[in-house]
Amino acid sequence: MLKKSCIAMLLAGGQGSRLGLLTKTLAKPAVPFGGKYRIIDFPLSNCSNSGIDVVGVLTQYQPLELNRYIGSGQPWDLDLTNGGVFVLPPYVKGKSGEWYRGTANAIYQNISFIEQYDPDYVLILSGDHIYKMDYNKMLQTHIDNKAAATIAVRLVPWEITHQFGIMATDKAGRITEFEEKPAKAKSNRASMGVYVFNWQVLKQYLMEDEADKKSSNDFGKNIIPKMIADKQKLMAYDFEDYWKDVGTIYSLWEANMDLLMDPPLFNLYDKRWRIYARNPIQPPHFIGSSAQVSACMVTEGCEVYGAVSHSVLFAGVKVEEGAVVVDSVVMPGSVIKKNAVVRRSIVGERAVVGENCDVGEGGQSEIALIASDTVLPAGFKVRPGAQVGPEDAVAKEASDK
Amino acid sequence: MKDVMGIIYTSKDDINMRELTSSRAVSALPVIGRYRIIDFQLSSLVNSGVRNVGVIMQKNYHSLMDHLGAGKEWDLHTRNDGLFILPPFQTRENVGTYDGTLDALKSNIAYLRRSNQDLVLLMGSYSVFNTNFEDMVKKHKESGADVTLMYTTRYRDSRVSPSMLARHTYLKLDDRENVLDFEIGPNIPENPNFCMDVILMRRSMLVHLVDQALAHGMKDVLRDMLPQYLKQKLLTVRGYEYKGYHRRVESVLSYFEFNMDMLHYDIRQELFANPVYTKVRDEVPAKYVEGARASNSLVADGCIIEGTVENSVLFRGVRVRAGAVVRNSVVMQESEIQEGVEVENVILDKAVTIRSGKLIGQKAYPIVIGKNMTL
Repeated sequence: MLKKSCIAMLLAGGQGSRLGLLTKTLAKPAVPFGGKYRIIDFPLSNCSNSGIDVVGVLTQYQPLELNRYIGSGQPWDLDLTNGGVFVLPPYVKGKSGEWYRGTANAIYQNISFIEQYDPDYVLILSGDHIYKMDYNKMLQTHIDNKAAATIAVRLVPWEITHQFGIMATDKAGRITEFEEKPAKAKSNRASMGVYVFNWQVLKQYLMEDEADKKSSNDFGKNIIPKMIADKQKLMAYDFEDYWKDVGTIYSLWEANMDLLMDPPLFNLYDKRWRIYARNPIQPPHFIGSSAQVSACMVTEGCEVYGAVSHSVLFAGVKVEEGAVVVDSVVMPGSVIKKNAVVRRSIVGERAVVGENCDVGEGGQSEIALIASDTVLPAGFKVRPGAQVGPEDAVAKEASDK
Repeated sequence: MKDVMGIIYTSKDDINMRELTSSRAVSALPVIGRYRIIDFQLSSLVNSGVRNVGVIMQKNYHSLMDHLGAGKEWDLHTRNDGLFILPPFQTRENVGTYDGTLDALKSNIAYLRRSNQDLVLLMGSYSVFNTNFEDMVKKHKESGADVTLMYTTRYRDSRVSPSMLARHTYLKLDDRENVLDFEIGPNIPENPNFCMDVILMRRSMLVHLVDQALAHGMKDVLRDMLPQYLKQKLLTVRGYEYKGYHRRVESVLSYFEFNMDMLHYDIRQELFANPVYTKVRDEVPAKYVEGARASNSLVADGCIIEGTVENSVLFRGVRVRAGAVVRNSVVMQESEIQEGVEVENVILDKAVTIRSGKLIGQKAYPIVIGKNMTL
């Protein structure tokens, strides 16, 4: 196999439990975003646009939909003879064989995959974030700095520092301290979960970490702090453009709403940095005579007869006459039936919101969630902040009768 | 359907659609927001399980080549068979253009011989339909006929010129769908069975007949070869009725009406009953800004709507600026209607910019603005 200077490993095995019912049957990177994308389209498109043409995708939790979506990697130009995208689930090796125990362990278990390409550098990514980034620039900075590892960093609001890996740096940008999800942060410089490592250095640390029975085999908790303690040169790479962790119902909703601002907070229209996605193969969307559409994104296959404002409609969504959709995200194939009202909500894939249903509320209320494949009977009410799954709707209907 | 191959004959620039086809083949005409005419024929073939498709190109094949690429959107980028692009070429025997379907087939006889399917589906590019050919092939085999022709009784006339009428073919059928006679280019047809230029026959027979017919000075498979051989009782020909939506795109008006047809829910459901594949452009979903108004319109991805859109078909990446009004119009890819402009009953070709004023055509005579024009 041809040597590659840099390959990417994308950690896509997490459950994303903070997304509640939305990730009950699919992995977080497969969660739909922005009308026609899924979260994983962003790191994959970034790789493709950055010229990184070997991407290993480490999967573990509910991988079926994700596997199907990635397929041969053709939408991202990653169906290559020499390289491409590879789905890497855990597998049995001789007498051993086990699940991925942590982010570092997942990479450790795939050392032989990485070694096939004999890379100088390995880029570690996660499938949790919405952003556009030229990894090549970061790699070049890493090479110029002669660093052992480089971590992409951005400032986050102080009140959410407990969700991130937080670091302190000296004037030259060298990382002096790193704390994973600290209760009390000393800085608000957060890791974006994008790392470049010198492969030989990382491999050494991965093997040592594996031998340490007390380690939780995690990059943020074990590998990075150990490297700092060993006085390895770890550099911060500042990234100031749009970047959003979409790990919670609210942040996922908010990131979708960011696209609706004028001009959008996150620009998808850059022709030199397109975000690629698997195409739904549907005709253009149709706006009926009785429809009203304002401040929204609508994609192929939609049929809109009701009133939609400040919302994102995914492929094949149908909004029937008299229905009202406000401040909401409606995922592929869902139907909002006649006279139903959906406000400040996320409706999952292939769900049906029955006639005269009332989902969510306006104002500053919490986001309501209708899980994928849920069929809400007519007249059903969903309170703000509630999560309704397929079983709940059936149970409720039974008790009503 | 592994034993069936397809050949699509893409017609050259057409005098009846001069403004629209001056830079592209009829097959490459953009339709319904994101498709080209050939997508419907190709998708019908692929959805029927056909794995080997030859596309006979004419001189202006650039935009068609660009659209088809290696055929990956139609899953025709395979190791065996797949998509074959057959442009005219010059040799001692060929002059570099095709003089009719028979000449085109003769030039590509090596491809026909080399293919290993038993049957061949030969089709033109003016008729738009969406079907699964499996039933037609089954009936063809059961009947034992030499040739089966697809026809429709739903042909709709939209002011076609005499030169185009001359190309129409109707079939006279008995009550068991045997073709008794052909009606070529009638002004007022006696039979309702409009032939859709879809011909099914044995590949080996086609190879054999092409040589013979050319030697007798014939030019067209459907209008010369089949009628003559039927008359001489050398062939048995059957009809097969296609019952779905059909539209013949053969004039500016029929092109316009075809697009407008898609604003009807039932017709849209009918034409898109089977998936239709096309080249993917990775556009962002369409965006309606605050204050935008849209009704009864088809809008493709990549559009940004700030003004008003009514009864129209907008292709990918169209911009309708604030205060602009687009009514009863077909607006192709990357066109822009700037602030305060009003357009009605117009067809704007690709990348047209209308900067000011009003542009009002008539429903029966839509105004066509050519590619890359700025008004």
